[in-house]
Amino acid sequence: MAYTPKQVFLNGIWLENPIYRQVLGICSTLAVTNLLANTLFMCFGLIFTTALSNLTISLLRDYTPKRIRMIVQVLIIASYVMMVDIIIKALAPDIHRFIGPYVGLIITNCIIMGRAEAFASQNKPMLSLFDGVASGVGYSLVLIFIASVREPLGFGTILGMTLPARDLWWHSWIIMVMPPGAFFMLGMFTWFARRWLVKEVKR
Amino acid sequence: MKKTSPAYILGFMITICTVFGTGIASVHYATLDMLIKNEKLHKNRTICRVFNLPVTGASADAFQKAIDDNISYEQIAYQGRTWDVYEQKDTSNIGFVFSGTGFWDRITGVIVISPDLSKVMNIQFLDQKETPGLGARIEEGWFTDQFKDVPIAWEQPADKRIIVGQAPIPTAKNRVDAITGATQTSLALMRFLNSELETFRKAMKEQKEKTMFEIPSPW
Repeated sequence: MAYTPKQVFLNGIWLENPIYRQVLGICSTLAVTNLLANTLFMCFGLIFTTALSNLTISLLRDYTPKRIRMIVQVLIIASYVMMVDIIIKALAPDIHRFIGPYVGLIITNCIIMGRAEAFASQNKPMLSLFDGVASGVGYSLVLIFIASVREPLGFGTILGMTLPARDLWWHSWIIMVMPPGAFFMLGMFTWFARRWLVKEVKR
Repeated sequence: MKKTSPAYILGFMITICTVFGTGIASVHYATLDMLIKNEKLHKNRTICRVFNLPVTGASADAFQKAIDDNISYEQIAYQGRTWDVYEQKDTSNIGFVFSGTGFWDRITGVIVISPDLSKVMNIQFLDQKETPGLGARIEEGWFTDQFKDVPIAWEQPADKRIIVGQAPIPTAKNRVDAITGATQTSLALMRFLNSELETFRKAMKEQKEKTMFEIPSPW
């Protein structure tokens, strides 16, 4: 099936969103969304990796022997993740200390391997790049939404800035800082998205 | 050449590994200066925090100045290991870098103790890779604050001078609470912290003896 860039974008961001439709990349969704700043860096890392790994795998698809394609994909993805890890460590060391373990785990993020195998290894380079960016942006939008709710509720801050007169009207919900808070948020968001945002395909 | 031939596969893998290996090395090389600066800033910030030093501003220079003004630094060699030892000029409190194996990886921190080595003044961690949300909570203020003014029970066995978690006497003054859900990290911390304190005490003792018998230079 031939895709257009518009279709690819819509699928990645909306119709086939990796989080609420494909339920991929859940580990990092639960782990890093208690602070918005951490989430933004994680999203940068994932978009960078999905986009460039998709592009590279697509460029090499005609030269890669089928038998070793998975090894090559993992090698390419791991290389980009290591680059992202070094860049975040250099530019934002404090954030790296918190999300460092999860940046390393981008290698095992199912979204990247899934898009590489399902899309990039069968489509043209530019379209694969679009697909990588779209999947990354789709993942990021959900994470940013969840983080935008968890951080104010859990810490009473947004991007580290204290909400006005917080102590007068707000008592922090500790559960929102912890992983169960992310479970609740993700569950509610997935229910909302699948009920109202996207129509289920009737079989 | 056929794509399925072993020579093609080998050549392909070697090329891919070389290209991406070079890419990673280049990114690392390009950011090396920043990484070194960040590492130094992190260490200086931790030292300022653990000694509770007054810092004016948040720049790297401000932290360095606070350390230069308030801390004297020396290295002590003992049994083939070099200890980084810091002494606060006005209180004479002594700090040193300790490390040991945690649950997953090495944990490194700075501990400050009173000049007579009788109690812990403060503790901060420089580096750890414990489970996020569980063992990684050793860095949090509620955990490190427990160590403030905790006496070191030198009369107790070497592994029980500071107790992290359950103690035979729950009200023991040398005890701090462990982290719920991170028993292994807490036990590992207790084990290597006590071991480091013991070795440091011996190193300090040897250092004092050396200084006592040192013949003053005529120049």
